[in-house]
Amino acid sequence: METAELKLQVKKQIIEFLNLISVKPEDIKDDEPLFGEGLGLDSIDSIELIVLLGREYGIDIKDPKEGRKVLTDINTMVAYIEQHRTK
Amino acid sequence: MGVISAIGNSVAENHQSLKDAVCGVSKAFDLFPTKYAGLLPFGQVPVSTEDLLQQLQVTAPGVTRTTLLALHALNEALADCGISPEDIKSSETALIGANTVGGMCLTDELYNDANNKTDGSDYLESYDCASVNLYLQKHFKITGVVNTINTACSSSANAIMYGAMLMKNGYAKRAIVGGTDCLAKFTINGFNALHILSTDNCTPFDEGRKGLNLGEGAAFLILEKEEDIKGRKVYAELTGYSNANDAYHPSSLSDEGDGPFLSMQGALNIANLSADKIDFINAHGTGTENNDAVESKAMMRLFDKPPAFASSKGNIGHTLGASGAIEAVYSILSLVHQEVYANLHFKNAIPSTGLTPVLAYKKMPVSHVMSNSFGFGGSCSSLIFSKV
Amino acid sequence: MLYIHKTFSISVQQNLLQANIELINEPVNKKLQAIEPAYEKIPPGILRRMGKSIRMGVGAALPLMSETDPVNGIIMGSANAGMEECVKFLNQIVQYEEGQLTPGNFVQSTGNVIAGQLGLITRNKGYNVTHVHAGLAFENAVLDAIMQLNTNPSNSYLLGGVDEISSFHYNIEALAGTYKKEEVSNKVLYEAGSPGYLVGEGAAMFVVSAEANNFIAKLTAIATIHSTDIELVQAQLKMFLQKNLEAGTAIDLFLSGENGDNRTLPFYTACETLLADDTAIVRYKHMTGDFPTASALGLWYACEFLQQQVPQHMFKKKTSKTSYRNILLYNNFKGLQHSFILVSKAW
Repeated sequence: METAELKLQVKKQIIEFLNLISVKPEDIKDDEPLFGEGLGLDSIDSIELIVLLGREYGIDIKDPKEGRKVLTDINTMVAYIEQHRTK
Repeated sequence: MGVISAIGNSVAENHQSLKDAVCGVSKAFDLFPTKYAGLLPFGQVPVSTEDLLQQLQVTAPGVTRTTLLALHALNEALADCGISPEDIKSSETALIGANTVGGMCLTDELYNDANNKTDGSDYLESYDCASVNLYLQKHFKITGVVNTINTACSSSANAIMYGAMLMKNGYAKRAIVGGTDCLAKFTINGFNALHILSTDNCTPFDEGRKGLNLGEGAAFLILEKEEDIKGRKVYAELTGYSNANDAYHPSSLSDEGDGPFLSMQGALNIANLSADKIDFINAHGTGTENNDAVESKAMMRLFDKPPAFASSKGNIGHTLGASGAIEAVYSILSLVHQEVYANLHFKNAIPSTGLTPVLAYKKMPVSHVMSNSFGFGGSCSSLIFSKV
Repeated sequence: MLYIHKTFSISVQQNLLQANIELINEPVNKKLQAIEPAYEKIPPGILRRMGKSIRMGVGAALPLMSETDPVNGIIMGSANAGMEECVKFLNQIVQYEEGQLTPGNFVQSTGNVIAGQLGLITRNKGYNVTHVHAGLAFENAVLDAIMQLNTNPSNSYLLGGVDEISSFHYNIEALAGTYKKEEVSNKVLYEAGSPGYLVGEGAAMFVVSAEANNFIAKLTAIATIHSTDIELVQAQLKMFLQKNLEAGTAIDLFLSGENGDNRTLPFYTACETLLADDTAIVRYKHMTGDFPTASALGLWYACEFLQQQVPQHMFKKKTSKTSYRNILLYNNFKGLQHSFILVSKAW
């Protein structure tokens, strides 16, 4: 899958998984922080996104600190998925 | 008083285990099949549900382990207090109980009933939290105020507080107060999904703490007014109680610990005590990164020098809706016996606080004990018990 | 005693005082489901995680909670708040065989989630308690508020009751025989004569204080009892009125929790026999449906009927009076949990 295509897919998955009412994929910028500023996600969301990576891409992140680095923004998330996906 | 926990089936057994620093939390687990059996440590009450049913002579269908633990503790408390069955039935006797899992310990039955996969199990009326106290109400024919409180992990501290308020406001002469919760696949998976269960024994207030251990149990206490005691045994006086909200996050505490600070301060105000009069704090001390750091900080804000403190979660695990009531019993044991018990598995102080809990059983003068309970939804409660 | 200053409700009807019975909402698939407003005051980031009972509870409370005059605490009654999230999480446990689960449902499944979220959103660090005692969850919240105000007479509190028809909880109660088995229109609910009630859902919120200024209603007394004995309940009501009804005053409106369930009807008729001839009898559960904290909507109605006309279709018995000063509410949940509440207007 092309990176751009994967990015769009991940954005759609984030919106559905976190039930982000009224957010559209194009509202999420690739380099905008997912947590705090930007999309304004919190610590519970970060755990939910780690579960998303597990269920959708077969990626198992054990250390929450590593998870937080991976989940910085869409760019970091997609780069990590491309390198580590098992499905 | 009556109590059942991983370290004993009675007040006397719990007392001895506390003195002996017994750890009732281990990876031996056989209550129900779960993926985490043998992987995570639990504070299981070492009596099977079948044995509880038999011991308590419960033959009615649909009675859950949560209710059985409560009944066990309440029977002990009533026998210990020596109040007559007539007094229990009096409209001036209130029953206030707390729990958070209700009948959800029956994960599989609930799953089938809720998803219409059966014609209905025996437990249809037993899933909600109220079912425990509705059973006890019927069993003991209670006609006074009956209530169930759920403020997550601080539930039974609030049940004790509500009972005291009913008496103060003339809605009851006597209040039976307490809490119960049993281990459930539901809570095990819930806390695990939040990554706050430790794979080893919990180490409250230790620098390297890795999370909490879940436990189960129940405790009940009987509150009476001074003028109604009529020569009966008195363990302690409930002098302070307070509830405040941290208003910060659904499942963790704020860095500054406003909620814990306000609940501790509020309890001191009600008791009309200055902070330096507290000799010992039975801390919430779950062993999570967040709780212990914040609770320590709040103690340091309120006390010039925090008094002796310890968490009993290392002995029995976190018993959720029962913890406030069980720890009330433990706090009262400290007052009655003029002693404090060890905070298990502690090695090094948290660098930013430098606080070290009580590390070994010791005799010491104890006049006032504070007991803390904090829970999801920012719910923070503190109680103060005083020597009589 | 406490004074009610502000009220807000969310329920099955857009207009709970709809005078034309032909225009009231009817059950769909035997459920009277609440019509939810647009929740403009709930931050979207928080709204997205909320189940229906949490949305209704928080959504009904926020319009009453002003930033300039904050309440001192939040006291909630809800038998089953968080139940829907609870079973969703349970279904995850089964579906993923206790594997990696998302904690969102779990965090939202605790019974105190509504009061907790309200504390969080309004940054309210005061007293915060949730009563979950089934059909007396709201009544215990009322009692709690009265006691808090006795101790802190200058305070004000948000007091509320809320429950939802969660699909899972519906299945459990339906199996237990709580609801009517047959399809019944709420327009003829009281003629059904069959066991079971029509399930509803909703939220009613109140700002209460000990301050006798600018109030809608004065809640003078409340009593609760658990009993399956009709005579005992009747005796309790007699005692309640003797103790709490001021000499020289009479109940001029009996707000009955009658719900079309033939198993609880005898309790209501027994209580009616204690009323004077000129006491009007009014019913509301064809408008709201029944649920553990429906009595919170009953209290909302009592506040309204001290101020305005009662729609004709709500009368079980009419009297010559057109305005009311003393209202007695009686509610019975599942033939076991009973409550009496006395509400009056200033004069």
